[in-house]
Amino acid sequence: MTASAFPGRHSIYTGRVTNWPLLVVLGAALMVPLLSLGSLSHGNWLDPAGPAVPLLTAAVVVLAIVLAGLRVRTAAGPNGVSVHCGAFGWPHRTYRLDEIDRAEVTDLPMSLWRLPLGFWWTPRHTYFTLRTGPALQLTLHSGRTVTITVPDPHAAAAIVHEAKSA
Amino acid sequence: MRWEVDHTSREALPRQIVACVRRGVASGELAVGEQLPPAAELAKALSVDRNTVLTAYRQLRDEGVLEFRRGRGARVASAVTEPAPVTEAARALVAVARRHGLGRQDLLRLIERMT
Repeated sequence: MTASAFPGRHSIYTGRVTNWPLLVVLGAALMVPLLSLGSLSHGNWLDPAGPAVPLLTAAVVVLAIVLAGLRVRTAAGPNGVSVHCGAFGWPHRTYRLDEIDRAEVTDLPMSLWRLPLGFWWTPRHTYFTLRTGPALQLTLHSGRTVTITVPDPHAAAAIVHEAKSA
Repeated sequence: MRWEVDHTSREALPRQIVACVRRGVASGELAVGEQLPPAAELAKALSVDRNTVLTAYRQLRDEGVLEFRRGRGARVASAVTEPAPVTEAARALVAVARRHGLGRQDLLRLIERMT
């Protein structure tokens, strides 16, 4: 049953993913060295060698993780694929259907070089990912790939195909 | 979760959205405590007005399916998706059917013929 058979019908997929354990582990892994550095310093608080700089950096890192890497919300349908990250829905990006070449399910392996956490991008790839395993991958006409963690990537890819064929 | 609304249907859009949430809860796609998409985001994806989604969410809250919490959006409050009056009417129907000697299959056939 495709949308083309029912012109007024809107089928969309929505999904929301949060990975608290990974966030806690990564937050701790980033915090511990910075806090150790702060406790080892002997200068005054505001000296360049003092503890204020590492502690402030640690606070900013934790705040950034909580605000931007907390969760990924996705909506896919005839209006394209919309992704909202973090506690306040930012960063936010919408990929229109005419920008998308194809949608498929990819498997994200665990790797130190490709840590699947939050929003990040390279010149040819954009990631909105929070865990390893199956994820939705969009290939844009520009050649860029966009990988998004969603609860059911097969359903999300099917909705994009359905909307594109309508 | 999959949502489907038909803009050409005679059934009101909020009722269609209510039916989507009920289906999601009944199938287990939406577990108790699960957060629903913000009304503005869902409205944009479904090409409906934000108030249409809010009307549906409010109806589900009034029926006890959803709960609203400040800063945490709309969440599934109960896995029971049938409205209480429908459940009561169904209980009464089963009782009357038993009194008249009708079994489960007879009742299912009757409901299938009527719907």
